Amino acid sequence: MKHHYELPREKLPIHRKAVRLEWLTIGYLITAIVGIYLTLGNSQAMKTAWIEDMLSLIPPIVFLIAARIRNRPPNERFPYGYHRAVSIAYLCASLALTLMGAFLLFDALLNLVATEHPSIGTVELFGHHIWLGWLMELALLWSAVPAVFLGRAKLPLARDLHDKVLFADAKINKADWLTAVAGMAGVLGIGLGLWWADSVAAAVISVDILYDGLENLRAVVTDLMDTRPTTVDDKVDPLPARVENELRKRAWVKDVRARLREEGHVYFGEVFVVPSTEQNLLGNIERAHQDLHDMDWRLHDVVVTPTRSLEDQDGSNGEG
Amino acid sequence: MGMVATAVLTALTLTACGIPRDPEGTLERVEGGTVRAGITENHPWTDLSGGEPAGVEVDLIEAFAESLGARVEWFDGSQAELLESLEKRELDVVAGGLTADDPWAQMVTFTQPYAEISILVGVPPGRQPPEEIDGLRVAVERGHQTAALVEDAAGIPVEVDDLSGARGLVAAEEWELEKLGLVPSEIELDKAQHVVAMPRGENAWLVRMERFLSDRAASVDELLQEHAS
Repeated sequence: MKHHYELPREKLPIHRKAVRLEWLTIGYLITAIVGIYLTLGNSQAMKTAWIEDMLSLIPPIVFLIAARIRNRPPNERFPYGYHRAVSIAYLCASLALTLMGAFLLFDALLNLVATEHPSIGTVELFGHHIWLGWLMELALLWSAVPAVFLGRAKLPLARDLHDKVLFADAKINKADWLTAVAGMAGVLGIGLGLWWADSVAAAVISVDILYDGLENLRAVVTDLMDTRPTTVDDKVDPLPARVENELRKRAWVKDVRARLREEGHVYFGEVFVVPSTEQNLLGNIERAHQDLHDMDWRLHDVVVTPTRSLEDQDGSNGEG
Repeated sequence: MGMVATAVLTALTLTACGIPRDPEGTLERVEGGTVRAGITENHPWTDLSGGEPAGVEVDLIEAFAESLGARVEWFDGSQAELLESLEKRELDVVAGGLTADDPWAQMVTFTQPYAEISILVGVPPGRQPPEEIDGLRVAVERGHQTAALVEDAAGIPVEVDDLSGARGLVAAEEWELEKLGLVPSEIELDKAQHVVAMPRGENAWLVRMERFLSDRAASVDELLQEHAS
Protein backbone atom coordinates (compact mmCIF):
# COMPACT_ATOMS: atom_id res chain seq x y z
CA MET A 1 0.00 0.00 0.00
CA LYS A 2 1.25 3.49 -0.79
CA HIS A 3 2.59 5.62 2.00
CA HIS A 4 0.00 8.20 2.92
CA TYR A 5 1.21 11.65 3.83
CA GLU A 6 -1.80 12.69 5.80
CA LEU A 7 -4.07 10.02 7.12
CA PRO A 8 -3.04 7.32 9.56
CA ARG A 9 -3.67 3.73 8.56
CA GLU A 10 -6.91 3.34 10.52
CA LYS A 11 -8.49 6.32 8.73
CA LEU A 12 -7.84 4.98 5.25
CA PRO A 13 -10.91 2.70 4.99
CA ILE A 14 -13.07 5.63 6.08
CA HIS A 15 -11.52 7.74 3.38
CA ARG A 16 -12.10 5.04 0.79
CA LYS A 17 -15.77 4.87 1.81
CA ALA A 18 -16.01 8.65 1.45
CA VAL A 19 -14.49 8.44 -2.02
CA ARG A 20 -17.04 5.80 -3.03
CA LEU A 21 -19.91 7.90 -1.72
CA GLU A 22 -18.66 10.94 -3.61
CA TRP A 23 -18.51 9.01 -6.89
CA LEU A 24 -22.04 7.79 -6.17
CA THR A 25 -23.11 11.36 -5.49
CA ILE A 26 -21.74 12.54 -8.81
CA GLY A 27 -23.49 9.73 -10.72
CA TYR A 28 -26.77 10.38 -8.93
CA LEU A 29 -26.58 14.16 -9.42
CA ILE A 30 -26.15 13.65 -13.16
CA THR A 31 -29.40 11.65 -13.31
CA ALA A 32 -31.17 14.33 -11.26
CA ILE A 33 -29.85 17.07 -13.55
CA VAL A 34 -31.02 15.23 -16.67
CA GLY A 35 -34.42 14.59 -15.04
CA ILE A 36 -34.97 18.25 -14.31
CA TYR A 37 -33.64 19.31 -17.71
CA LEU A 38 -36.23 17.14 -19.45
CA THR A 39 -39.07 18.75 -17.49
CA LEU A 40 -37.79 22.34 -17.26
CA GLY A 41 -40.66 23.91 -19.21
CA ASN A 42 -41.24 27.53 -18.45
CA SER A 43 -40.70 27.44 -14.71
CA GLN A 44 -38.22 29.77 -13.03
CA ALA A 45 -38.15 27.53 -9.95
CA MET A 46 -37.22 24.48 -12.03
CA LYS A 47 -34.46 26.41 -13.75
CA THR A 48 -33.07 27.50 -10.38
CA ALA A 49 -33.24 23.98 -8.95
CA TRP A 50 -31.44 22.73 -12.06
CA ILE A 51 -28.61 25.20 -11.62
CA GLU A 52 -28.37 24.36 -7.93
CA ASP A 53 -27.97 20.68 -8.76
CA MET A 54 -25.23 21.47 -11.23
CA LEU A 55 -23.43 23.58 -8.63
CA SER A 56 -23.76 20.68 -6.19
CA LEU A 57 -21.39 18.76 -8.44
CA ILE A 58 -18.53 21.05 -7.48
CA PRO A 59 -17.84 19.91 -3.87
CA PRO A 60 -17.65 16.17 -4.69
CA ILE A 61 -15.38 16.87 -7.68
CA VAL A 62 -13.16 19.08 -5.51
CA PHE A 63 -13.03 16.36 -2.87
CA LEU A 64 -11.98 13.67 -5.34
CA ILE A 65 -9.32 15.81 -6.99
CA ALA A 66 -7.98 16.89 -3.61
CA ALA A 67 -7.82 13.28 -2.49
CA ARG A 68 -5.36 12.65 -5.31
CA ILE A 69 -3.32 15.83 -4.96
CA ARG A 70 -2.86 15.99 -1.20
CA ASN A 71 -1.17 12.67 -1.11
CA ARG A 72 1.78 13.77 -3.19
CA PRO A 73 5.01 13.84 -1.22
CA PRO A 74 6.59 17.23 -0.53
CA ASN A 75 9.39 18.06 -2.93
CA GLU A 76 11.90 20.85 -3.45
CA ARG A 77 9.41 23.10 -5.14
CA PHE A 78 6.66 22.47 -2.62
CA PRO A 79 8.48 21.77 0.63
CA TYR A 80 5.26 21.94 2.65
CA GLY A 81 3.53 19.42 0.42
CA TYR A 82 0.24 19.85 -1.42
CA HIS A 83 -2.22 20.07 1.46
CA ARG A 84 -3.29 23.59 0.54
CA ALA A 85 -4.38 22.57 -2.95
CA VAL A 86 -7.82 21.69 -1.69
CA SER A 87 -8.28 25.05 0.02
CA ILE A 88 -7.77 26.83 -3.28
CA ALA A 89 -10.29 24.67 -5.09
CA TYR A 90 -12.68 25.11 -2.18
CA LEU A 91 -12.34 28.88 -2.45
CA CYS A 92 -13.23 28.82 -6.15
CA ALA A 93 -16.21 26.60 -5.51
CA SER A 94 -17.54 28.79 -2.68
CA LEU A 95 -17.14 31.89 -4.81
CA ALA A 96 -19.05 30.24 -7.66
CA LEU A 97 -21.90 29.28 -5.33
CA THR A 98 -22.12 32.74 -3.81
CA LEU A 99 -22.11 34.60 -7.11
CA MET A 100 -24.58 32.20 -8.68
CA GLY A 101 -26.92 32.46 -5.68
CA ALA A 102 -26.86 36.24 -5.81
CA PHE A 103 -27.50 36.29 -9.55
CA LEU A 104 -30.39 33.80 -9.33
CA LEU A 105 -32.02 35.76 -6.50
CA PHE A 106 -31.82 38.92 -8.59
CA ASP A 107 -33.27 37.06 -11.58
CA ALA A 108 -36.17 35.63 -9.57
CA LEU A 109 -37.06 39.03 -8.11
CA LEU A 110 -36.91 40.62 -11.57
CA ASN A 111 -39.30 37.94 -12.80
CA LEU A 112 -41.68 38.62 -9.94
CA VAL A 113 -41.70 42.33 -10.67
CA ALA A 114 -42.29 41.73 -14.38
CA THR A 115 -45.42 39.73 -13.43
CA GLU A 116 -44.69 37.03 -16.01
CA HIS A 117 -47.26 34.25 -15.98
CA PRO A 118 -45.51 30.90 -16.58
CA SER A 119 -47.21 28.57 -19.06
CA ILE A 120 -47.16 24.87 -18.26
CA GLY A 121 -49.00 22.73 -20.81
CA THR A 122 -49.05 19.02 -21.55
CA VAL A 123 -46.63 16.45 -22.85
CA GLU A 124 -47.57 13.33 -24.68
CA LEU A 125 -46.62 10.18 -22.80
CA PHE A 126 -47.71 6.75 -23.99
CA GLY A 127 -50.56 8.24 -25.97
CA HIS A 128 -51.90 10.37 -23.08
CA HIS A 129 -51.53 14.08 -22.57
CA ILE A 130 -50.26 14.62 -19.04
CA TRP A 131 -49.84 18.02 -17.41
CA LEU A 132 -46.10 18.74 -17.42
CA GLY A 133 -46.38 20.03 -13.85
CA TRP A 134 -46.78 16.48 -12.53
CA LEU A 135 -43.58 15.40 -14.23
CA MET A 136 -41.84 18.45 -12.78
CA GLU A 137 -42.91 17.40 -9.28
CA LEU A 138 -41.47 13.92 -9.86
CA ALA A 139 -38.18 15.31 -11.15
CA LEU A 140 -37.89 17.57 -8.10
CA LEU A 141 -38.64 14.70 -5.75
CA TRP A 142 -35.92 12.58 -7.35
CA SER A 143 -33.48 15.48 -7.09
CA ALA A 144 -34.03 15.78 -3.34
CA VAL A 145 -34.81 12.53 -1.57
CA PRO A 146 -31.66 10.52 -2.45
CA ALA A 147 -29.57 13.64 -1.80
CA VAL A 148 -30.77 13.82 1.80
CA PHE A 149 -29.78 10.20 2.40
CA LEU A 150 -26.38 10.70 0.79
CA GLY A 151 -25.81 13.77 2.95
CA ARG A 152 -26.65 11.85 6.11
CA ALA A 153 -24.21 9.08 5.16
CA LYS A 154 -21.35 11.48 4.50
CA LEU A 155 -21.67 13.65 7.61
CA PRO A 156 -20.10 11.24 10.16
CA LEU A 157 -17.31 10.45 7.70
CA ALA A 158 -16.50 14.14 7.39
CA ARG A 159 -16.24 14.47 11.18
CA ASP A 160 -14.00 11.44 11.39
CA LEU A 161 -11.66 12.61 8.67
CA HIS A 162 -11.74 16.25 9.78
CA ASP A 163 -12.60 17.10 6.18
CA LYS A 164 -14.31 20.44 5.70
CA VAL A 165 -15.03 20.01 1.99
CA LEU A 166 -16.79 16.72 2.66
CA PHE A 167 -18.65 18.30 5.59
CA ALA A 168 -19.84 21.24 3.51
CA ASP A 169 -20.87 18.87 0.73
CA ALA A 170 -22.84 16.69 3.15
CA LYS A 171 -24.64 19.70 4.56
CA ILE A 172 -25.54 20.96 1.10
CA ASN A 173 -26.97 17.55 0.20
CA LYS A 174 -28.97 17.35 3.41
CA ALA A 175 -30.44 20.80 2.79
CA ASP A 176 -31.71 19.75 -0.63
CA TRP A 177 -35.08 18.97 0.95
CA LEU A 178 -35.68 22.73 1.11
CA THR A 179 -35.13 23.09 -2.62
CA ALA A 180 -37.52 20.23 -3.34
CA VAL A 181 -40.27 21.55 -1.08
CA ALA A 182 -39.92 25.08 -2.46
CA GLY A 183 -39.86 23.88 -6.07
CA MET A 184 -42.80 21.52 -5.60
CA ALA A 185 -44.80 24.21 -3.85
CA GLY A 186 -43.97 26.58 -6.70
CA VAL A 187 -45.20 24.20 -9.40
CA LEU A 188 -48.29 23.31 -7.38
CA GLY A 189 -48.94 27.02 -6.93
CA ILE A 190 -48.92 27.53 -10.69
CA GLY A 191 -51.31 24.60 -10.99
CA LEU A 192 -53.66 26.37 -8.59
CA GLY A 193 -53.53 29.53 -10.67
CA LEU A 194 -51.06 31.39 -8.43
CA TRP A 195 -48.71 32.60 -11.13
CA TRP A 196 -46.36 34.27 -8.65
CA ALA A 197 -45.70 31.00 -6.75
CA ASP A 198 -43.02 30.05 -9.27
CA SER A 199 -40.93 33.21 -8.85
CA VAL A 200 -41.27 33.09 -5.07
CA ALA A 201 -40.09 29.47 -5.03
CA ALA A 202 -37.16 30.40 -7.27
CA ALA A 203 -36.24 33.23 -4.89
CA VAL A 204 -36.32 30.86 -1.89
CA ILE A 205 -34.08 28.35 -3.65
CA SER A 206 -31.60 31.02 -4.69
CA VAL A 207 -31.42 32.35 -1.12
CA ASP A 208 -30.51 28.80 -0.09
CA ILE A 209 -27.72 28.70 -2.67
CA LEU A 210 -26.48 32.12 -1.63
CA TYR A 211 -26.45 31.09 2.03
CA ASP A 212 -24.51 27.90 1.23
CA GLY A 213 -22.02 29.91 -0.78
CA LEU A 214 -21.46 32.50 1.96
CA GLU A 215 -21.10 29.85 4.66
CA ASN A 216 -18.46 28.03 2.68
CA LEU A 217 -16.75 31.24 1.64
CA ARG A 218 -16.42 32.26 5.27
CA ALA A 219 -15.04 28.87 6.21
CA VAL A 220 -12.40 28.77 3.50
CA VAL A 221 -11.31 32.39 3.90
CA THR A 222 -10.69 31.92 7.61
CA ASP A 223 -8.88 28.70 6.74
CA LEU A 224 -6.58 30.48 4.28
CA MET A 225 -6.00 33.27 6.77
CA ASP A 226 -4.56 30.70 9.17
CA THR A 227 -7.03 31.26 11.97
CA ARG A 228 -6.77 29.02 14.97
CA PRO A 229 -7.92 25.49 14.17
CA THR A 230 -11.63 24.71 14.29
CA THR A 231 -13.52 21.43 14.07
CA VAL A 232 -15.68 20.69 11.00
CA ASP A 233 -18.61 22.08 13.02
CA ASP A 234 -16.75 25.36 13.27
CA LYS A 235 -16.08 25.14 17.00
CA VAL A 236 -12.70 25.96 18.50
CA ASP A 237 -10.54 22.86 18.38
CA PRO A 238 -9.32 21.86 21.84
CA LEU A 239 -6.17 20.27 20.41
CA PRO A 240 -3.82 23.26 20.77
CA ALA A 241 -4.82 23.58 24.43
CA ARG A 242 -4.24 19.83 24.90
CA VAL A 243 -0.77 20.14 23.40
CA GLU A 244 0.10 22.96 25.80
CA ASN A 245 -1.25 21.12 28.84
CA GLU A 246 0.60 17.93 27.96
CA LEU A 247 3.95 19.69 27.61
CA ARG A 248 3.49 21.83 30.72
CA LYS A 249 3.49 18.64 32.77
CA ARG A 250 7.09 18.01 31.89
CA ALA A 251 9.79 18.98 34.34
CA TRP A 252 12.00 20.68 31.79
CA VAL A 253 9.18 22.96 30.57
CA LYS A 254 8.61 26.30 32.32
CA ASP A 255 6.00 27.66 29.91
CA VAL A 256 4.62 26.73 26.53
CA ARG A 257 2.43 28.13 23.80
CA ALA A 258 1.18 26.33 20.68
CA ARG A 259 0.54 28.23 17.46
CA LEU A 260 -1.12 25.91 14.97
CA ARG A 261 -2.83 26.35 11.61
CA GLU A 262 -4.79 24.02 9.36
CA GLU A 263 -3.70 22.84 5.95
CA GLY A 264 -6.45 20.61 4.63
CA HIS A 265 -6.87 17.67 7.00
CA VAL A 266 -3.76 18.28 9.04
CA TYR A 267 -2.18 20.85 11.33
CA PHE A 268 1.13 22.59 10.89
CA GLY A 269 2.63 24.89 13.43
CA GLU A 270 5.10 25.84 16.13
CA VAL A 271 5.16 25.01 19.79
CA PHE A 272 7.20 27.60 21.68
CA VAL A 273 8.75 26.24 24.84
CA VAL A 274 10.48 28.23 27.57
CA PRO A 275 12.71 25.60 29.14
CA SER A 276 13.38 25.59 32.89
CA THR A 277 16.75 23.99 32.25
CA GLU A 278 19.06 23.89 29.26
CA GLN A 279 20.38 20.48 30.23
CA ASN A 280 19.72 17.81 27.58
CA LEU A 281 17.61 20.36 25.70
CA LEU A 282 18.01 18.65 22.35
CA GLY A 283 16.95 15.26 23.74
CA ASN A 284 13.94 16.79 25.50
CA ILE A 285 12.84 18.57 22.38
CA GLU A 286 13.23 15.45 20.26
CA ARG A 287 11.15 13.42 22.70
CA ALA A 288 8.46 16.12 22.90
CA HIS A 289 8.32 16.21 19.11
CA GLN A 290 7.81 12.44 18.91
CA ASP A 291 5.17 12.46 21.68
CA LEU A 292 3.17 15.15 19.94
CA HIS A 293 3.22 13.18 16.72
CA ASP A 294 1.84 10.16 18.57
CA MET A 295 -0.77 12.23 20.39
CA ASP A 296 -3.04 12.95 17.43
CA TRP A 297 -2.80 12.04 13.74
CA ARG A 298 -3.61 15.60 12.78
CA LEU A 299 -0.41 17.03 14.28
CA HIS A 300 1.36 16.45 11.05
CA ASP A 301 4.25 18.83 10.99
CA VAL A 302 4.72 20.58 14.29
CA VAL A 303 8.02 22.16 15.23
CA VAL A 304 9.02 22.35 18.88
CA THR A 305 11.28 25.32 19.38
CA PRO A 306 12.95 26.69 22.51
CA THR A 307 12.73 30.37 23.28
CA ARG A 308 13.76 32.66 26.12
CA SER A 309 10.42 34.30 26.59
CA LEU A 310 6.94 33.85 25.20
CA GLU A 311 6.29 37.60 24.97
CA ASP A 312 8.34 38.00 21.80
CA GLN A 313 6.21 35.65 19.74
CA ASP A 314 3.41 36.56 17.39
CA GLY A 315 -0.09 35.46 18.20
CA SER A 316 -0.47 37.14 21.60
CA ASN A 317 -0.89 35.95 25.13
CA GLY A 318 -4.62 35.58 25.20
CA GLU A 319 -5.60 38.65 23.20
CA GLY A 320 -6.69 38.78 19.60
CA MET B 1 -39.71 13.39 7.09
CA GLY B 2 -42.29 10.61 6.73
CA MET B 3 -45.01 12.93 7.97
CA VAL B 4 -44.02 15.64 5.55
CA ALA B 5 -44.19 13.14 2.69
CA THR B 6 -47.64 11.92 3.72
CA ALA B 7 -48.95 15.45 4.06
CA VAL B 8 -47.57 16.43 0.67
CA LEU B 9 -49.02 13.34 -1.02
CA THR B 10 -52.43 13.91 0.57
CA ALA B 11 -52.47 17.51 -0.51
CA LEU B 12 -51.47 16.53 -4.02
CA THR B 13 -54.18 13.86 -4.30
CA LEU B 14 -56.88 16.17 -2.99
CA THR B 15 -56.02 18.96 -5.35
CA ALA B 16 -55.26 16.73 -8.33
CA CYS B 17 -58.73 17.25 -9.64
CA GLY B 18 -58.97 20.73 -11.05
CA ILE B 19 -55.27 21.21 -11.66
CA PRO B 20 -54.09 23.18 -13.49
CA ARG B 21 -56.19 26.33 -13.06
CA ASP B 22 -56.20 29.61 -14.95
CA PRO B 23 -54.99 32.67 -13.02
CA GLU B 24 -57.46 34.75 -15.04
CA GLY B 25 -60.19 32.10 -15.28
CA THR B 26 -60.20 31.91 -19.09
CA LEU B 27 -61.58 28.36 -19.45
CA GLU B 28 -64.36 29.05 -16.98
CA ARG B 29 -65.36 32.21 -18.79
CA VAL B 30 -65.31 30.55 -22.21
CA GLU B 31 -67.39 27.51 -21.24
CA GLY B 32 -70.92 28.31 -22.38
CA GLY B 33 -69.67 31.75 -23.44
CA THR B 34 -67.56 33.18 -26.25
CA VAL B 35 -64.06 32.40 -27.59
CA ARG B 36 -62.38 35.62 -28.73
CA ALA B 37 -60.24 34.30 -31.61
CA GLY B 38 -57.74 36.30 -33.63
CA ILE B 39 -57.21 35.32 -37.27
CA THR B 40 -54.61 36.35 -39.79
CA GLU B 41 -54.62 35.20 -43.40
CA ASN B 42 -52.49 32.15 -44.24
CA HIS B 43 -54.09 29.86 -46.76
CA PRO B 44 -55.07 27.01 -46.25
CA TRP B 45 -54.74 27.21 -42.48
CA THR B 46 -56.74 30.43 -42.26
CA ASP B 47 -58.67 32.07 -45.08
CA LEU B 48 -60.43 35.42 -45.06
CA SER B 49 -60.98 35.75 -48.82
CA GLY B 50 -64.55 34.45 -48.74
CA GLY B 51 -65.87 37.03 -46.27
CA GLU B 52 -66.40 34.42 -43.56
CA PRO B 53 -63.33 32.97 -41.82
CA ALA B 54 -62.48 29.53 -43.24
CA GLY B 55 -59.55 27.14 -43.21
CA VAL B 56 -58.08 24.17 -41.35
CA GLU B 57 -57.48 26.04 -38.09
CA VAL B 58 -60.86 27.80 -38.28
CA ASP B 59 -62.55 24.41 -38.47
CA LEU B 60 -60.53 23.12 -35.53
CA ILE B 61 -61.21 26.14 -33.33
CA GLU B 62 -64.92 26.20 -34.11
CA ALA B 63 -65.15 22.48 -33.27
CA PHE B 64 -63.24 23.13 -30.04
CA ALA B 65 -65.63 25.95 -29.06
CA GLU B 66 -68.58 23.68 -29.81
CA SER B 67 -67.14 21.06 -27.44
CA LEU B 68 -67.21 23.73 -24.72
CA GLY B 69 -70.71 24.91 -25.57
CA ALA B 70 -69.31 28.25 -26.70
CA ARG B 71 -69.44 30.38 -29.84
CA VAL B 72 -66.45 31.98 -31.61
CA GLU B 73 -66.02 35.70 -32.24
CA TRP B 74 -63.37 36.26 -34.90
CA PHE B 75 -61.11 39.31 -34.95
CA ASP B 76 -58.84 39.85 -37.91
CA GLY B 77 -55.59 41.75 -38.07
CA SER B 78 -51.89 41.37 -38.77
CA GLN B 79 -49.96 38.70 -36.92
CA ALA B 80 -48.10 41.32 -34.88
CA GLU B 81 -51.28 43.12 -33.78
CA LEU B 82 -53.09 39.93 -32.88
CA LEU B 83 -50.25 38.46 -30.86
CA GLU B 84 -49.90 41.72 -28.96
CA SER B 85 -53.61 41.58 -28.10
CA LEU B 86 -53.16 37.97 -27.07
CA GLU B 87 -50.32 38.95 -24.78
CA LYS B 88 -52.58 41.54 -23.12
CA ARG B 89 -55.25 38.81 -22.79
CA GLU B 90 -57.66 40.78 -24.98
CA LEU B 91 -57.93 37.61 -27.12
CA ASP B 92 -58.16 33.96 -26.09
CA VAL B 93 -56.49 32.29 -29.08
CA VAL B 94 -54.80 33.34 -32.32
CA ALA B 95 -54.66 31.25 -35.49
CA GLY B 96 -52.69 31.96 -38.64
CA GLY B 97 -50.77 28.92 -39.79
CA LEU B 98 -48.19 29.66 -37.07
CA THR B 99 -45.27 27.30 -36.59
CA ALA B 100 -43.31 26.51 -33.44
CA ASP B 101 -40.18 28.36 -34.61
CA ASP B 102 -42.01 31.68 -34.92
CA PRO B 103 -40.00 34.43 -33.18
CA TRP B 104 -43.10 35.63 -31.29
CA ALA B 105 -42.94 32.59 -29.02
CA GLN B 106 -41.63 34.59 -26.05
CA MET B 107 -44.64 36.84 -25.51
CA VAL B 108 -47.33 34.19 -25.84
CA THR B 109 -47.53 30.44 -25.54
CA PHE B 110 -47.71 28.02 -28.43
CA THR B 111 -49.61 24.76 -28.07
CA GLN B 112 -47.88 21.45 -28.64
CA PRO B 113 -47.82 21.00 -32.46
CA TYR B 114 -51.10 19.61 -33.76
CA ALA B 115 -49.51 18.72 -37.10
CA GLU B 116 -45.95 18.11 -38.25
CA ILE B 117 -45.56 18.59 -41.97
CA SER B 118 -42.37 17.97 -43.91
CA ILE B 119 -40.95 20.76 -46.01
CA LEU B 120 -39.60 19.03 -49.09
CA VAL B 121 -37.98 19.95 -52.38
CA GLY B 122 -40.22 18.99 -55.31
CA VAL B 123 -39.63 18.64 -59.05
CA PRO B 124 -42.00 18.80 -62.00
CA PRO B 125 -43.21 15.34 -63.06
CA GLY B 126 -40.90 13.56 -65.43
CA ARG B 127 -37.75 15.26 -64.12
CA GLN B 128 -35.16 13.35 -62.12
CA PRO B 129 -35.26 14.52 -58.46
CA PRO B 130 -31.81 15.75 -57.30
CA GLU B 131 -29.83 14.15 -54.47
CA GLU B 132 -28.76 17.53 -53.09
CA ILE B 133 -29.54 21.15 -53.86
CA ASP B 134 -25.96 22.45 -53.59
CA GLY B 135 -25.77 25.54 -55.75
CA LEU B 136 -29.16 24.86 -57.34
CA ARG B 137 -31.91 27.46 -57.63
CA VAL B 138 -35.05 26.59 -55.67
CA ALA B 139 -38.30 28.58 -55.77
CA VAL B 140 -39.83 29.49 -52.38
CA GLU B 141 -42.88 31.46 -51.37
CA ARG B 142 -42.09 34.99 -50.26
CA GLY B 143 -42.53 35.78 -46.56
CA HIS B 144 -41.92 32.27 -45.19
CA GLN B 145 -38.87 30.86 -43.47
CA THR B 146 -38.38 28.42 -46.34
CA ALA B 147 -35.80 30.69 -48.00
CA ALA B 148 -33.53 30.39 -44.98
CA LEU B 149 -33.95 26.62 -44.98
CA VAL B 150 -32.88 26.44 -48.64
CA GLU B 151 -29.81 28.55 -47.85
CA ASP B 152 -28.90 26.28 -44.94
CA ALA B 153 -28.94 23.34 -47.35
CA ALA B 154 -26.53 25.23 -49.66
CA GLY B 155 -29.18 25.99 -52.27
CA ILE B 156 -30.07 29.35 -53.84
CA PRO B 157 -33.58 30.50 -52.88
CA VAL B 158 -35.65 32.36 -55.45
CA GLU B 159 -38.54 34.17 -53.77
CA VAL B 160 -41.80 34.32 -55.72
CA ASP B 161 -45.27 35.50 -54.81
CA ASP B 162 -47.08 32.58 -56.41
CA LEU B 163 -45.51 29.13 -56.57
CA SER B 164 -47.84 27.90 -59.29
CA GLY B 165 -45.87 29.91 -61.85
CA ALA B 166 -42.54 28.42 -60.82
CA ARG B 167 -40.68 26.01 -63.05
CA GLY B 168 -37.89 23.75 -61.85
CA LEU B 169 -37.21 23.03 -58.20
CA VAL B 170 -39.69 24.23 -55.57
CA ALA B 171 -39.42 24.00 -51.77
CA ALA B 172 -42.73 23.90 -49.88
CA GLU B 173 -44.78 21.82 -47.44
CA GLU B 174 -45.70 18.36 -48.68
CA TRP B 175 -49.41 19.05 -49.29
CA GLU B 176 -48.56 22.18 -51.30
CA LEU B 177 -46.21 20.30 -53.62
CA GLU B 178 -48.99 17.78 -54.23
CA LYS B 179 -51.46 20.55 -54.96
CA LEU B 180 -49.02 22.07 -57.49
CA GLY B 181 -48.69 18.70 -59.19
CA LEU B 182 -45.00 18.42 -58.31
CA VAL B 183 -43.20 15.25 -57.28
CA PRO B 184 -41.59 15.45 -53.81
CA SER B 185 -37.96 14.38 -53.64
CA GLU B 186 -36.15 12.72 -50.74
CA ILE B 187 -34.70 16.05 -49.65
CA GLU B 188 -36.41 17.14 -46.41
CA LEU B 189 -35.38 20.63 -45.36
CA ASP B 190 -37.27 20.67 -42.07
CA LYS B 191 -40.48 19.65 -40.34
CA ALA B 192 -42.98 22.49 -39.94
CA GLN B 193 -44.65 22.20 -36.53
CA HIS B 194 -48.06 23.83 -36.74
CA VAL B 195 -49.43 25.43 -33.61
CA VAL B 196 -52.00 27.95 -32.44
CA ALA B 197 -51.11 30.75 -30.04
CA MET B 198 -52.54 31.00 -26.52
CA PRO B 199 -52.15 33.59 -23.75
CA ARG B 200 -49.34 32.93 -21.30
CA GLY B 201 -50.14 31.38 -17.93
CA GLU B 202 -53.74 30.29 -18.65
CA ASN B 203 -52.82 26.67 -18.12
CA ALA B 204 -56.28 25.07 -17.80
CA TRP B 205 -57.23 26.71 -21.11
CA LEU B 206 -53.97 25.57 -22.69
CA VAL B 207 -54.28 21.98 -21.50
CA ARG B 208 -57.89 21.73 -22.74
CA MET B 209 -56.89 23.04 -26.17
CA GLU B 210 -53.86 20.72 -26.41
CA ARG B 211 -55.94 17.67 -25.50
CA PHE B 212 -58.60 18.62 -28.07
CA LEU B 213 -56.06 19.20 -30.85
CA SER B 214 -54.35 15.91 -30.05
CA ASP B 215 -57.68 14.08 -30.31
CA ARG B 216 -58.35 15.65 -33.70
CA ALA B 217 -54.81 15.23 -35.05
CA ALA B 218 -55.87 12.51 -37.48
CA SER B 219 -58.43 14.77 -39.15
CA VAL B 220 -55.87 17.41 -40.16
CA ASP B 221 -54.99 15.58 -43.37
CA GLU B 222 -58.65 15.54 -44.42
CA LEU B 223 -59.07 19.21 -43.61
CA LEU B 224 -55.96 20.06 -45.63
CA GLN B 225 -57.33 18.21 -48.64
CA GLU B 226 -60.61 20.06 -48.29
CA HIS B 227 -59.18 23.57 -47.94
CA ALA B 228 -56.06 23.33 -50.07
CA SER B 229 -57.88 23.14 -53.36
